[in-house]
Amino acid sequence: MSMGIPEIENAKLLFIFGYNGADSHPIVARRIIKAKQKGAKLIVVDPRITESARIADMHLQLKGGSNMALVQAIGNVIINEGLADQKFIENHTNGYEEYKEFVKKYTPEYAEPICHVPAEQIREAARAYAKAETSMILYGMGVCQFAQAVDVVKGLASLALLTGNFGGPNMGIGPVRGQNNVQGACDMGALPNCYSGYQSVTDDAVREKFEKAWGVKLSNKVGIPLTHVPHRVLEEKDEKKKIHAYYIFGEDPAQSDPDLNEIRETLDKLDFVVMQDIFMNKTGLHADVILPSTAWGEHDGIYSACDRGFQRIRKAIEPKGDVKTDWEIISLISTAMGYPMHYNNTKEIWDEMRSLTPSFHGATYEKLEALGSIQWPCRDESMEDKGTPYLFTGGKFSHPDGRGKFFATEWRPPCEVESPEYPYTLSTVREVGHYSVRTMTGNCRALANLEDEPGWIQMSPEDCGKLNVKEGELIRVFSRRGSLMTRVLPTERVKPGATYMTYQWWVGACNELTTPYLDPVSNTPESKYCAINLEKIDDQAWAEQCIKDSYESIRKKMGIDTAKKEV
Amino acid sequence: MNNNLSSFVVACNDQCTGCRACEVACFTVHNQKDNKVAHTVGTVEIPVTPRLFLTRLEEFCLPVQCKQCEDAPCLNSCSAKAIARIDGVVYVNEDLCIGCKNCMMACPFGALEMLPIAKKGKAVKQTGSDEVRKSAYKCDLCINIEGGPACIKTCPHDVLKLVNLEEDRREKNIKAAIALSLTGNL
Repeated sequence: MSMGIPEIENAKLLFIFGYNGADSHPIVARRIIKAKQKGAKLIVVDPRITESARIADMHLQLKGGSNMALVQAIGNVIINEGLADQKFIENHTNGYEEYKEFVKKYTPEYAEPICHVPAEQIREAARAYAKAETSMILYGMGVCQFAQAVDVVKGLASLALLTGNFGGPNMGIGPVRGQNNVQGACDMGALPNCYSGYQSVTDDAVREKFEKAWGVKLSNKVGIPLTHVPHRVLEEKDEKKKIHAYYIFGEDPAQSDPDLNEIRETLDKLDFVVMQDIFMNKTGLHADVILPSTAWGEHDGIYSACDRGFQRIRKAIEPKGDVKTDWEIISLISTAMGYPMHYNNTKEIWDEMRSLTPSFHGATYEKLEALGSIQWPCRDESMEDKGTPYLFTGGKFSHPDGRGKFFATEWRPPCEVESPEYPYTLSTVREVGHYSVRTMTGNCRALANLEDEPGWIQMSPEDCGKLNVKEGELIRVFSRRGSLMTRVLPTERVKPGATYMTYQWWVGACNELTTPYLDPVSNTPESKYCAINLEKIDDQAWAEQCIKDSYESIRKKMGIDTAKKEV
Repeated sequence: MNNNLSSFVVACNDQCTGCRACEVACFTVHNQKDNKVAHTVGTVEIPVTPRLFLTRLEEFCLPVQCKQCEDAPCLNSCSAKAIARIDGVVYVNEDLCIGCKNCMMACPFGALEMLPIAKKGKAVKQTGSDEVRKSAYKCDLCINIEGGPACIKTCPHDVLKLVNLEEDRREKNIKAAIALSLTGNL
């Protein structure tokens, strides 16, 4: 995020795009409500009526997969109605003329049939966004989990450039990232293309620095993104390029990744799979070795929040049984593989990382202790450098020339659209009571008590009427890749033709249905759009028994005590 | 004193995000003593039985709970005399409830639900049968629980509050009187 999470409360306008805080991040949702109470205007762009959409001043209920057309139509209106911040554009940006030329054709009337949002509503949203004293964009997976994702992010950033909504407090653009430390994983270089602090693996000077520090030769090639793994296992002919072993930790691709059939085939085809996690999960069923590790309350460390804020976490209880922390396991594996690695605590690891990462160098344990949280960049160890609450102060951007770059491109439809055979769309979403792939929350009796297998499919009452299905009834859902059973949840909050499922259920696993199409830059899969069909099940008793048997069988395979489940 | 109208908990639609923290808190505090449910989730061995009900439709989302009616239809219709008014709170004695569901039929707000009874961390069985015993459950304003209504305390968005209509009416009267006094004599 270019801003800090607390700043959300003070923005004059929140432009929430494909982001459902109430279900994904109740704590951030609280800031949105506070902002509204303080008088902020709320514009929500979402195909569903989310809790934010419900209380918004304006809800643009667009059709899924039309983001780029809508974003550029907003840019078009801002320029055509003379609402752009010419001074900011002149002093701090590049590429405005090309942008202006490109979005010319993206009039609201052009976007209306693509987005299913009335042209006049697009105009009103654009005016409100441009005219507010400080406008802040918050976006989520409704932007990122499309095959056209990075383009939309750049398109949204262009709106902020266009209106000068960068460089000051309570403005900017914020990807509200999901898991508590997904930002931290990226910050620490758990990406195929960079070391900690986003230092490129292809930069020779950077590589030499790390080689010197670690005393080893390092590759200068970008690695393989997670979502390319199935291809590199199943289809790669060159034995040297083929992946043979896969070490997975804190991740459950056999639940979270699209087209689970293909994932299972991949895991089974691999010569060797290691899984490291806190509980058994779907991926574990395909692993050769399982390494049990500690959970968040059982170890020390540092997390990054989505607003670049480092925070210390401290061990609350001693781990039980034969488990080790992730860093101890990594050290032991490394030592066993011939590179002796030893640390006494997480501070030693953090200090080593800081010494190699200029933009995090100032975030010492001592300073974190004193301040509670530090947002990077924080370069200097002295107490003077308290980090950076918002980026691009005074309109100075990270491009070498310090200027922001406009971006526009053609809208592309989703990769798999509706057809007579598969007339409905499916988007994967979240629900408040279960976290990510349910490795943690599915094992929690209280939460499983509130929502349990096989989960729900959200459908419009019209579609339910057409299929003659009622709330709670089991229904068969199928796509070109797979099929499953789940429960019907009629809701006025979705449009006819569109359906939504949460992706964590073991029995009603919607990723059996999703497509493996990727965004070409981020390699994130198009989890928000695929074509499906629905079929009423006449024998409900049989279906209920199938669900029960299937759940029991998964639990049995995972070695989970099934007797305890009975209450 | 006893002529006062009963207080009750209400929710504000504009602030609720549907997180259900109120439901979990309600269940937790009502099962701390008998069922050893503590503040951490690992201690829950019994079905989760909240006494307020998150209700979500197109335009709203908020928990619904008992209004502690002055002439309570649930109390009037109870065939087992399991429902009584104690200090203004309409209270179900689960040991007496026979699960006839008259109260559910009578309540105009859907503020009661039949839920399994648990004691000492185990579901209570029916006499002469292995089926789980159920009782009507409803908001009791946490009368026997320290700190008052747990839902209000727990809500991260300050959605819920305890209303006292006597006080509320008095305040409105004062405001109206001030407004009237400013208009002068008619």
